[in-house]
Amino acid sequence: MIETYAIRRPEAQESPIARQIREDLGIDVARCLECGKCTGGCSYAAGFDYTPRKIIQLVKLGEFDKLLSLDALWTCLSCQLCVDRCPSGINIPRIMDYLRARAHRANSNITHKNIEKFYEIMLSDIKNRGRISETIMMIKYNLAIKNLFANASFGKKLFLKGKLKFFSPRTHNIKTIQPLFRRLSEKDGQA
Amino acid sequence: MNVAFYPGCSHHGLAQEYDHTSRLICSHLAVNLTEVEDWNCCGATAAHSLDHDLSLALNVRNLAQVKRGGHDSVVTPCSGCFSRLKTAAHEIRHDPDRLAEISRKLECPLPENVEVRHLLQLIVEEYSLDRIRALVKKPLCGLKAAAYYGCLLTRPAAVTRFDDPEQPRSMDNLLQALGAEPVTWSYKAECCGGGFNASEPVIALELGQAILDSAKNAGAEAIIAACPLCQMNLDGRQGEMTPPFGGKYDIPVVYFTQLMGLAFGYAWRELRFKKLIVNPRKLLEKYCLL
Amino acid sequence: MSKADTAALIIGGGIAGLETALKLGQGGYTVILAEKESALGGNVAKLHSSFPRWEDPQELIKVKQAELKTLPSVRVLANTEITGLQRQSGGFTAHWTDRATQKSGSLPVQALIFATGFELFNASVYGEYGYGIYKNVVNSLEFEHLLGMYEQRAIHVPESIAFFKCVGSRDRSKGFPYCSKICCMYTAKQAGLVKKISPDTQCYVFYMDYRASGKEYEEFVRQVIEERKVRYVRGRPSKVVLENDKLLVRFEDTLIGVPMEASVDLIVLASAVVPRPETLALARMLGLKTDDYGFVEPVYGSPVRIEERIFMAGGCGFAIESLGAIAQGAAAAAEVTALFNKSE
Repeated sequence: MIETYAIRRPEAQESPIARQIREDLGIDVARCLECGKCTGGCSYAAGFDYTPRKIIQLVKLGEFDKLLSLDALWTCLSCQLCVDRCPSGINIPRIMDYLRARAHRANSNITHKNIEKFYEIMLSDIKNRGRISETIMMIKYNLAIKNLFANASFGKKLFLKGKLKFFSPRTHNIKTIQPLFRRLSEKDGQA
Repeated sequence: MNVAFYPGCSHHGLAQEYDHTSRLICSHLAVNLTEVEDWNCCGATAAHSLDHDLSLALNVRNLAQVKRGGHDSVVTPCSGCFSRLKTAAHEIRHDPDRLAEISRKLECPLPENVEVRHLLQLIVEEYSLDRIRALVKKPLCGLKAAAYYGCLLTRPAAVTRFDDPEQPRSMDNLLQALGAEPVTWSYKAECCGGGFNASEPVIALELGQAILDSAKNAGAEAIIAACPLCQMNLDGRQGEMTPPFGGKYDIPVVYFTQLMGLAFGYAWRELRFKKLIVNPRKLLEKYCLL
Repeated sequence: MSKADTAALIIGGGIAGLETALKLGQGGYTVILAEKESALGGNVAKLHSSFPRWEDPQELIKVKQAELKTLPSVRVLANTEITGLQRQSGGFTAHWTDRATQKSGSLPVQALIFATGFELFNASVYGEYGYGIYKNVVNSLEFEHLLGMYEQRAIHVPESIAFFKCVGSRDRSKGFPYCSKICCMYTAKQAGLVKKISPDTQCYVFYMDYRASGKEYEEFVRQVIEERKVRYVRGRPSKVVLENDKLLVRFEDTLIGVPMEASVDLIVLASAVVPRPETLALARMLGLKTDDYGFVEPVYGSPVRIEERIFMAGGCGFAIESLGAIAQGAAAAAEVTALFNKSE
């Protein structure tokens, strides 16, 4: 795929998204030295559409729409390598979380819908039961992506080892869990 | 010593052998574990990926449960849970104002000063290597092992404050004390991709394979894990990975608690080695450890 | 007071201290040059070739040392550590210990020159680079020793070498925010010298930007890139992976914007220039202010005067190239001369 560029005219001052990240997360992307140490060691940069260094640059340039549609938001493993290696201590995984959450809420053009789906299934499990059941989650996920045989050979191995349980304990006092979801999503609704 | 125990959701299913041997080793070391009352899931990658505040809230609740049980210290054998619990404890300390809303929702005060430790960390911090050595009945002589820490046990360093994030040594030292020979390798703290094990296995396979290759190149006969997700990926998915030079991978991925148990004189059956997908029996027999 | 009644104590016999001793001695002033090590020359005596003209620094030290021997008013105390400094009216009392014989004593001096030099940051803080863990990962001063052996054909030159710049410099997380100033140039020199000795050796220099702001510096770096064929790669290496006998460098080429790898035999870390702990200890004895990192600082307007009767020269003030250290050494001698003439 050839990506072509329209000539852009970036503003010189701090972009709105850079400012939001600074105010909401306390992370200042102006500290970026553009050295690429984040990207060189990234667990999966070779599979990203935009590498971590470029994502920081997109933040600086204020390319908000582009940022929310990044495939890398969903294939980032949150392995925390980049933040520990960054000479300026920029918490890139936290920025990725922030952008991913906004992409999720904005229901924007998400390329890896399956990963988003997986997270949603997991969260709904937690909301309903307080804990997750790996077995139920995998079944729900396969139904959601309409591929009943996804992970079949892996699942079979686990089953034969007695590792797949259909009944697993839950959090009893679920009433204390659900408000965490409800009121937080209310807050998001206002945002 | 008394400490609260947070097993994590895998304890019941995928990581039964880890849960069992964690409790076994703790009891052997006279660490009195009390399971956190009515704990909830840490939210794992899903929560912090879609809603950072939710991830914090879930773990503030867990920490509050620790306090409610009369404890100031909690230990977990899962690196993923450790990371989420520790991040919440870190943010309570550094940004209490932002978390005030969460404590209102939970209708409890912010659980301050709860010490969160990974089981490996608790063991190496509370027990000197000499004390461990003194407990060894069957030294793991000759066993070349790759101590695998993965991504979240030591990172981010500012939050975990445990070992060197790039060149951790604590598990290597522990293995040495058990009589094994830890190998020098470069992937001990790289990510195995286990988080994508179910949702995007292509990535999990690619990253997992890099770990296996690196361990093999370093001469390791087994990989020693400290996290259910890493173990499941490296062990369970091993059959789906294709080595660059043909053949099949056949490298056991064993929990460090299982190896400790072995060195302390527990039997094969008691250590639940049979639950592992890649069978370590041949390897352990080679060194007369069974 | 005559010249014989006033004495200047120079702490450190590197290139800066040597120059101060020479100039003061040539003027007939009494000088005590205390050097902790057994030989004079400091860091410069370890170097092979120089920028921007490929000259021989060891020859330079030799010439200066020979000249020093002809000066009757200069006393060189090798193996001598200054263990205490006290102010007294019109000067100082300096306590010394001979590290070889364990003898100690004290002497009165009327001026002090800090010429204690710099050292390199301990790069083992960067676990990702494996310094101190993987053999064949060295810092740039250790590499100078290897360069000497390559020149003498005492050992084989490796087939490929990677040079990492900014290891501990320009790093607010694990190192220091400042630029160590000299690494860009000495790294160019080291890589260029390797290519002169062994043109087939592949040399990578990993850089964020190369800083060549000195007379003929830019031309020097361009020569290293264009004529000596050193591969400059714009990106800060992220990780070194052990691969049998080789070292795999993982980095991003930030110009093309993709992650890449390079397999090499040796890695040279241009570790940050940091002050010696001894400098800070000496400064504390006199209540001198240092900067946030522990470098001593001259007053505004003088290149070398820290306060009345106390001066500095060379790397104890900040990272400096050898020619700059010589200039400061000479400036310190001029300041002492002016002081002693005023006192007389």
